[in-house]
Amino acid sequence: MSDDHGSSPISARVRHVEALLESRGLLSDGEIDTRIDEFAAGGTPANGARVVARAWVDPGFRDRLLADANAALPEVGLSMAGGLQEQRLKVVANGPDEHHVLVCTLCSCYPIALLGPSPSWYKSEAYRSRVVRDPRSVLAEFGVALPAATRIAVWDASAESRYMVLPRRPEGTADLDEDGLAALVTRKGLIGTALV
Amino acid sequence: MTAFAPGDRVRTRTVDPVGHTRLPRYARGAWGTVVQVAGSHPLADDRARGLEVQPQPVYHVRFTAADLFGTGDHTVTVELWHDHLEVPA
Amino acid sequence: MSRINDVGGMAGFPAIVEEPDEPRFHEDWEAHVFALNGALIKRGIYNLDEFRDAQERLPVAQFLGSSYYERWFAAITTLLAEKGVATPEELAP
Repeated sequence: MSDDHGSSPISARVRHVEALLESRGLLSDGEIDTRIDEFAAGGTPANGARVVARAWVDPGFRDRLLADANAALPEVGLSMAGGLQEQRLKVVANGPDEHHVLVCTLCSCYPIALLGPSPSWYKSEAYRSRVVRDPRSVLAEFGVALPAATRIAVWDASAESRYMVLPRRPEGTADLDEDGLAALVTRKGLIGTALV
Repeated sequence: MTAFAPGDRVRTRTVDPVGHTRLPRYARGAWGTVVQVAGSHPLADDRARGLEVQPQPVYHVRFTAADLFGTGDHTVTVELWHDHLEVPA
Repeated sequence: MSRINDVGGMAGFPAIVEEPDEPRFHEDWEAHVFALNGALIKRGIYNLDEFRDAQERLPVAQFLGSSYYERWFAAITTLLAEKGVATPEELAP
């Protein structure tokens, strides 16, 4: 993949800077390719979905996850230590009276280890500007119509913590095992712009 | 420095810094409630200026939309460093 | 003074658009910019907050006219010049 940067002007500029840094010993051979491969092999929303499914079937895990997510993640073989530094994770649980939704108004902070790369809409000024001010209408645009009595809690990832939403377990899923439950969970559900 | 604790009412500073800051404009000069202490980190505002500084407490501070925007029935929880908050007299 | 990245509560941006089946990167060079930034931070050439700062102080018109990874690349080259790694002339192809 890395030999084909494309032919746009910016791809030529990127290629030029990369070569310059290699020639000065600031990048080693293959370092960029390795990083790209590692990123591709890293986080996906399936990780977050696994966490959610476990929390749905195991109330003890749910309690530990909400109390200290970093300490609970290894129980499902995950951690927040894969990035530049270990990040604090806080999981916020939707309930019958409260719905959580995540944003980073200043930047685009996001729990990549659990959700994979963030979607463009999450990084857009459109989403970041509006969801803190009028989350109910933003959620309605995403198809999430909440009862008027449901409180909405917005979390702005402005500092060191990353957040993940624990959606409510849908009705009629009593027969599903953990894998079946995990398959129900979407990236938007983990951000709070979908119910699950 | 006396750290704040969950339940404390705090007011963010009204400062309008020249450089990088993690205190969003919409949350300046606003009253909120500390809901959690979230560890201790060097202030990003200083790190962005290349300064080596000591860690300080970081808090999850919850604001009502009404206090931030004069409208709305939701809450917004912002993660702020100790230096983003006014020191009680 | 508030910067162009600080958009919470601001009016006037277009509608939120979802892209179905969005790829990790839309162009190969974006993946390279992403990896380049990680490598330079790991090497201590600059830190993550300096990187964010460098994006935030791009000229507003350039910031708003640039895509996500175009901003990243502009910040990277700004910092490489400011840190004395290379001159702006050397950084241009």
